[in-house]
Amino acid sequence: MLIWFLPAFLIFLMIGLPVFFGLLAAPGILLWLNGQEKEITLLYRNLYNGMDSFPLMAIPFFMLAGELMNRGGITIRLVEFSQALMGHLRGGLAQVNILSSILFAGLSGSAVADTSALGSMLIPAMEKEGYTRKFAAAITAASSVIGPIIPPSGIMIIYAYVMGESVAALFLAGIVPGILVGVGLMIMVRLMADRYDLPAAHRVDLTGTQLGQVEWWVSFVLVRLNIALVIWSFMPAPEGLSAGMSWGMLLIALLIAHVIFLGIRRMVSHDFRMVCKRAMVPLQTPILILGGILAGVFTPTEAAAVAVAYAIMVGFLILRSLKWSDIPQVLVNSGITSAVVLLLVGAAMAFKTVVSLSHAPEQLAEFILSLSENPLILLFLINLLLFIVGMFLDAGPAIIILGPILGPIFTDLGVDSIHFAIIMSVNLTVGLATPPMGLVLFVASAVSKERVETIARTILPFLAVEVFVIFLITFVPAISMTIPRLTGFAN
Amino acid sequence: MGALLAVIAPIGFVNEAALKLGRAIGGIAVALMVVAILVQVFFRYVLNSALPWPDEAARFCMLWMAGLMAPTAFRRGGFVAIDMFGRALPTKAGQFLNLILFLICLAVLLVGVEIGWNEVTGFGGKFKSASLYLPLGGGEWYRLPRSWMMASLLVGIVLLISVNVELILRSIVTLIGGGDRLQPIPDAETVGAD
Repeated sequence: MLIWFLPAFLIFLMIGLPVFFGLLAAPGILLWLNGQEKEITLLYRNLYNGMDSFPLMAIPFFMLAGELMNRGGITIRLVEFSQALMGHLRGGLAQVNILSSILFAGLSGSAVADTSALGSMLIPAMEKEGYTRKFAAAITAASSVIGPIIPPSGIMIIYAYVMGESVAALFLAGIVPGILVGVGLMIMVRLMADRYDLPAAHRVDLTGTQLGQVEWWVSFVLVRLNIALVIWSFMPAPEGLSAGMSWGMLLIALLIAHVIFLGIRRMVSHDFRMVCKRAMVPLQTPILILGGILAGVFTPTEAAAVAVAYAIMVGFLILRSLKWSDIPQVLVNSGITSAVVLLLVGAAMAFKTVVSLSHAPEQLAEFILSLSENPLILLFLINLLLFIVGMFLDAGPAIIILGPILGPIFTDLGVDSIHFAIIMSVNLTVGLATPPMGLVLFVASAVSKERVETIARTILPFLAVEVFVIFLITFVPAISMTIPRLTGFAN
Repeated sequence: MGALLAVIAPIGFVNEAALKLGRAIGGIAVALMVVAILVQVFFRYVLNSALPWPDEAARFCMLWMAGLMAPTAFRRGGFVAIDMFGRALPTKAGQFLNLILFLICLAVLLVGVEIGWNEVTGFGGKFKSASLYLPLGGGEWYRLPRSWMMASLLVGIVLLISVNVELILRSIVTLIGGGDRLQPIPDAETVGAD
């Protein structure tokens, strides 16, 4: 009887019951019909225990950091920076949209936030430049799925929580796939630019931009310090190096970095330099988060809290773009969004209880393994299944329900658990932009005032690119595994 | 219909006030979570002496944030759902389906509130928290029971029920043709895990 939990849940979902209630109602009714009323208490306990988690706290923190950065005017700086780099290309603003999404992904782990923040700025700008509204909305929605792939990522935090993986390893594994999705979309835009005669944009729209003194010096130091640290990490370190010598080498690296920037300075215009400097402070956020986690200084949750502190410091002291009166609204907005996510995660954890009681994982594993013994064919089939699931279900609940069922099957077949996590996360993330339940399609529609159905049709070429990238990631494990392996987070 | 509208108005007023208070406390809880974790980072990495309470205090705040703020999202239509089927139906049928869906939500919540009450007042709630103490004055400290944390979900469910009752009454009014006489709820939102 309990095996019917999944069809029951899908029926509830299709008739329009909110996912949170569907996740509780479907197993609850079946347990009651099965005479297992006591297990309904277990559903409630797992709902509560699923929410009571320290690692999950990173989700509200990253949302808060993203909200603070956005309110503090950081989005416009990233868009200007992207425009300075790519605006001159054919289909310039579409390319700017994609690059902005890649950069924004490093600050926020949410595709919805990406669509909302970038869409409200870029969709009207693209329309003004001569793009159709549906195209502008479609490229915004398609590129926003990069948000949860490049770290920080809410989806990967959830996956790591459910499957007991390292959040840091998943964050690192998501970097290249996220960039790959972005590059794929850029190539598609370039191809469409010729065919549909998309307009070009200007390299830098801003002229005569000036920076505050504090921001100028902070950007000056940060950019050199980052490059110096990279140079320093490649310098040969003889055994028995004293702390003084080590600091001396860092000083040399700083000097080298400064000389490099003096050279670059002559090659670019003042406006270009200013636009890059304005983006430097916000772009430090992902470096701070990943650097802190990699260096073993912070746990991911702590790194997220530090990102909030950095966003506050930047907004109030460096950019001076945040006001105290902004803070209550920012806290409330991020709190409401996080509350819904936490309830969903809790409900999905409760749903998982019935998944285990029903012996569905064993039956499903048996069925999957009966289809083929070749892991590559099974991975292909599982990608199809995940894509279909992603069309109907939010990525978070889908991961919590399917992760524990599918993960062990593929790990036993020799697929690395981190590799499988990335396949699943990227696939379900792309599902955010697919109809009928594509969350970012709805947000793009709300922002652009274009019909969801129209955006869903226009987005198809971009979805094709994303599906191609999913298969690349699936069949070339090195794409996701190289960085975790190089940094010692995977074998 | 007049009677229904007369009932909806005070329920809406109470919900609006309760959720406003919930949002205010939830916002403070978010801020306290950040402060607790930053204090922990400072003590662990700068002073090299980890404190026992920040992690649990932050989780305490997170649970209350979820319980107090999720009902606002529900009232604003921010719980993720597929509404294509309902929209494809004729207007009256769609409105009737909407009412049925709210009734299913109510059934889930009523079961939840019964279990939640038993959990909070039962054996599990009597355990003490690991590290959370409340100062009573005069150097005395009260170790918080787990029920204080567990009550967050129960309070959340009670608020969700209150919101749900309002939404059920509103959908009945809409079904009998009085939708245009309802005061609008603040703008619908789209929120999700991603």
